[in-house]
Amino acid sequence: MNLVNRFFLYIVLLPSGIYKNMGINVLQLKAILNAKLILDDRRPNTMHQASQKKQKKPISFATLGTMLLTGFMGCFFLVSFFVGNNITTQFTIYFSFFIFVLASTLIADFTSVLIDIRDNVIILPKPVTDKTFVLARLLHILIHITKMVLPLALPAMIYLGLRKGVLQLIPFAFLTMLVTLFTIFLINALYIFILKVTTPEKFKVIISYFQIFFAIIFYASYQLVPRLINKAALEHYDINSNNWVWLAPPYWFAGSMEFLTSLQFTPTLVTCFMISLVVPVLSIWIVIKYFAPSFNQKLSMISGSEMSNQPVTEIQKKPKPTTSTYLSNLSHWFTHAGAERMSFLHTWKMTSRSRDFKMKVYPSLGYILVYLFILFFGSNKFRLSDIQNQSGSGKGIFIGLIYFSSFILIVSVSQMLYSEKYKAAWIYHITPIDKPGKIISGAIKSIIAKFYLPLVTITAITALWLVGPSIIPNLLLGFFNQLLITCTTGYISVNAFPFAQVQNQAKSNFIRGIFSLVIPGLIAGLHYLVYGIMPVVIILSILSAIACWFMIDAIKNKAWGQIKAVYQD
Amino acid sequence: MTPIIQLKNLHKNYGDKQVLKGINLDIYPGQVIGYIGPNGAGKSTTVKILCGLISDYEGDVLVEGFDLKTDPLSAKRKIGYVPELAELYDVLTPAEFLGFMAELYELPKEMAEDRIHKMIAAFGLEANLNQRMDTFSKGMRQKVLIISGLLHNPDIIILDEPLSGLDANSVIIFKDLISKLAKDGKTIFYCSHMMDVVEKVSDRIVLINEGAVIADGSFEELQTAQGNQSLEKIFARMTAKDSLSDAADQMMRAFEI
Repeated sequence: MNLVNRFFLYIVLLPSGIYKNMGINVLQLKAILNAKLILDDRRPNTMHQASQKKQKKPISFATLGTMLLTGFMGCFFLVSFFVGNNITTQFTIYFSFFIFVLASTLIADFTSVLIDIRDNVIILPKPVTDKTFVLARLLHILIHITKMVLPLALPAMIYLGLRKGVLQLIPFAFLTMLVTLFTIFLINALYIFILKVTTPEKFKVIISYFQIFFAIIFYASYQLVPRLINKAALEHYDINSNNWVWLAPPYWFAGSMEFLTSLQFTPTLVTCFMISLVVPVLSIWIVIKYFAPSFNQKLSMISGSEMSNQPVTEIQKKPKPTTSTYLSNLSHWFTHAGAERMSFLHTWKMTSRSRDFKMKVYPSLGYILVYLFILFFGSNKFRLSDIQNQSGSGKGIFIGLIYFSSFILIVSVSQMLYSEKYKAAWIYHITPIDKPGKIISGAIKSIIAKFYLPLVTITAITALWLVGPSIIPNLLLGFFNQLLITCTTGYISVNAFPFAQVQNQAKSNFIRGIFSLVIPGLIAGLHYLVYGIMPVVIILSILSAIACWFMIDAIKNKAWGQIKAVYQD
Repeated sequence: MTPIIQLKNLHKNYGDKQVLKGINLDIYPGQVIGYIGPNGAGKSTTVKILCGLISDYEGDVLVEGFDLKTDPLSAKRKIGYVPELAELYDVLTPAEFLGFMAELYELPKEMAEDRIHKMIAAFGLEANLNQRMDTFSKGMRQKVLIISGLLHNPDIIILDEPLSGLDANSVIIFKDLISKLAKDGKTIFYCSHMMDVVEKVSDRIVLINEGAVIADGSFEELQTAQGNQSLEKIFARMTAKDSLSDAADQMMRAFEI
């Protein structure tokens, strides 16, 4: 265990006497916390999970790495001190960032780190009282959160200390603590709420949707905030002018900050201060009093749910088809019977059902939406007539739209290789498959049918509606190029069975990521150059279509020797 | 003699589905109970209730006279549990994990360390004592779990399919261990699908089906009541709805056009 954890363990165990009086077994408490902190230290953290290499050496000091990263994030928050002309406004923005980042990190951590369902099997059968267990959990959460909050708040503390004097640090630290308590309450309430409205089995799925949602919002605010800040109006922005601001918790804390630093007894500031004192304390009391006792119960529901989702044993005369008509039609249009069609359907279903895949791909869909939004509405130069006349930035936006969506396909195609259940790929190795390429082409076609077709339809309808039939040649060239890019990516990078790899190739992913940005960019640039020359556009479309055809054929004909067909055990 | 475990009219529902429909059992010290039943009969639910994993049941469960509902801690101190799935914190080393377990049972440190060493050595895992368990085979993890269930020298040992993943030699060691523990006065609650093992190790067999006890007695008593057959045959006769050989016949007929 590293020094940081040891230090925290020592601190939280200082009031041991009080714990004892509360009827808590301090030795057990220490044992649980000790084990938990070791576990934390050996777990790849959420932020660099993706970039983590195959565990050549075991992870040992995850804590320190996470703290550094978090500190870096905290630096970004300093932006808020350059907005507005008063303390309340600045701190409302600061605390909004703070709550948002803390909440979004915690929402992920709560499922993976803080609520470890193995606890049920391992700790519950032991003679540990619920009180001890809950306190251990709370203290673990406290340590975990402190390890986040400290580095997160540190940059602001340094800034405040230098700019406004060391005395400002006391109210700031105090309020940060209250804000943190409040955020914990929010997460807890959210968890309890989710557990109330859905079944425990769906719990993790819903949490992961929240994570996706947070990731997208995070990206959006990262993109949008700097743009908004440029506007001069913001410098004189005063948040107090809005009444609805009372509904935003960060405002209460910001008001308290102003109150504590200025000591002006205005009704607004005093009210803020009262609210920000009472609400966190009250909410934590609610958590302890009402949520904690039922928490273990709810948790055992998450793990002990195998009884409630027993398969339906309804005997049907005619076996119900496992594939919808739409899907089976699609599979007939795009694939040949046999391995290719099986792979098409398999990939379709896996991409719909695998949480792993959705977690990786859906955020990138969101990023593209955000980007398109900025593209269309962020620039002042944008005019609808430009698109309609295909002049000025209209051309660029149209091409941007088409080629940016190819990014979605590239992400999906390369993500399709990975799965948590990679071991299930033994099925490809024991069955007589003459050409593994068929499996790969089926999978790639499935991705294309699932993600490319809807995109193409939407783009085509929008373009035809805005511009009219004159855009058709360019539309076709764009679509075929997009298809070509996807198939080429597939040909080059998919050299293994779908869903058969462990996700760990950080390096190659990075290089592929660069390529997948550069190549569509280059092609998009070329397309832009020939945009107005109709004969060239038409000829290129035909060439691109032929190239696609060959590419798909090449994928289909990949032989055993050409792919990395080693079963990963 | 007073029973060491008493289940009185034990009921458990999952929503509308009744999993346990009034189980009544008195288990006496030193008995090796073979607790068997088909999938979904309520075996693991019973085990989970006994271990304190599930607490919202109806009826009474007394362990050495302590009610699991009112005094779960005293009951849990008496029980050692070896779970079915290899659920453990596998980034810990066996030394760390077992040390952690020992502290939860409040064993004195020296004693715990001594025991852990001896038990690990007995299973031939000395070399792995300080290795993280994520590299362990299923059998090695199972051995660690078995040790974690015995560490605090419990009076009652609940084993849920404890042999899964163990190699033949370890199985021999473990079966031997069960009979020696029983001789020592420990009560063993052995839950398994392996009829041949249950037949050999247990001196009382409890067969449950659809949430109720349908047979209870020594293997010999079962044989007298159900005909002189192996436990496997008796089990099939009492729990299968249709004839099992019919199922095999149907399977074979599926090849015909």
